[in-house]
Amino acid sequence: MGEWVATATHRQARTFLPPADFCPLCPTKPGGFPTEIPEATYDIVAFENRFPSLTPEPPAPAVEASELYPVRPGQGVCEVIVYSPNHNSTLAQEPVEQIHQLVQVWTDRFRALQSAEFAKYIFIFENKGEAIGVTLHHPHGQIYAYPFVPPRILTELEQTRAHMDATGRCLLCDILAEERRGRGERIVAENDSFAAYIPFFARYPYEVHISSTRHLQALTDLNETEGRDLAAMLKTVLAAYDKLFNLSFPYMMVLHQRPTDGGDYGYYHFHIEFYPPLRTATKLKYLAGSETGAGMFINDTLAEDKAAELRALVVPVVWEKGGAL
Amino acid sequence: MQHRRITLEDGRYLVFYTFDEETAAAASSNSNETIGAEELTARRAEPDAEPQATEEPGRV
Repeated sequence: MGEWVATATHRQARTFLPPADFCPLCPTKPGGFPTEIPEATYDIVAFENRFPSLTPEPPAPAVEASELYPVRPGQGVCEVIVYSPNHNSTLAQEPVEQIHQLVQVWTDRFRALQSAEFAKYIFIFENKGEAIGVTLHHPHGQIYAYPFVPPRILTELEQTRAHMDATGRCLLCDILAEERRGRGERIVAENDSFAAYIPFFARYPYEVHISSTRHLQALTDLNETEGRDLAAMLKTVLAAYDKLFNLSFPYMMVLHQRPTDGGDYGYYHFHIEFYPPLRTATKLKYLAGSETGAGMFINDTLAEDKAAELRALVVPVVWEKGGAL
Repeated sequence: MQHRRITLEDGRYLVFYTFDEETAAAASSNSNETIGAEELTARRAEPDAEPQATEEPGRV
């Protein structure tokens, strides 16, 4: 059907919700349980996933291709990024300085992974909460280096390129301008470099997008101020999420950047998207028949209403060293 | 930002990132790590070529 599916049967055996004393992402304490991370402490760690969906040197496909069913080795990289040595923390609970450090690590991993010849797209993401299906509670995210540009990104690329061809303008820049126009009813928060909003076309009730004000394509384009502003905006949104229902808010967080296949993607615009599964404190937004079978999302809410809820929960981000943003 | 890369006993890499006030501002330009297909191939073929973690790598 024009899309690749990775089969990784070894992942059935991966660690599933271990007790805190046996968390594989905690530091290895002297005399203690040997975790994935062989040191007693760390700031942030990146490592290759023990149960990867894609590997730099994949085995030959387990089945043979046919004319109808092409197969290819699952080449790529799957990294785990551990945000903090504190098992009980979350990204929302981390100080903004730590989130700024994470932004720098993301940038460094993007730069390192894009140098692999086979890496055509670097996908940085976090699945948070059992509602999303996480298997480890320790605060962490992941990075996949795909050997092709994945389909959702392809759709965004096609739409942004078509808009550029038709108008001479960036689609995301136009969306941001539209969101800021008038009363900004869908805006959740803004700072000098980023805006957070629930887009007009949100598929999930609390689907926040964070877009850079400046037209840039990837984390590697951020200057120092923009890196700090991105950390502050992430802290702002994540803190508002946690206050919404007074619980640690589950979400998928994905970074959308330009591909790394050497093409010219000057028309594309870096942004971050959150897909929270909750529509109320106790009810999930299920991807049911229409969403899964037809790709047609049905949102039971209005973006303007949900943005107002989150906007009311926004508080200034305080930097311990260097003022507030 | 500074980083230190080690190779675990099963051949996977692990990168420690550390920060302090002096190096944080220069973080985005400090990396000299590249991951090329050749480098990954060499590492897989000869896992002892890079520093080894002395601890048991544990499990996920």
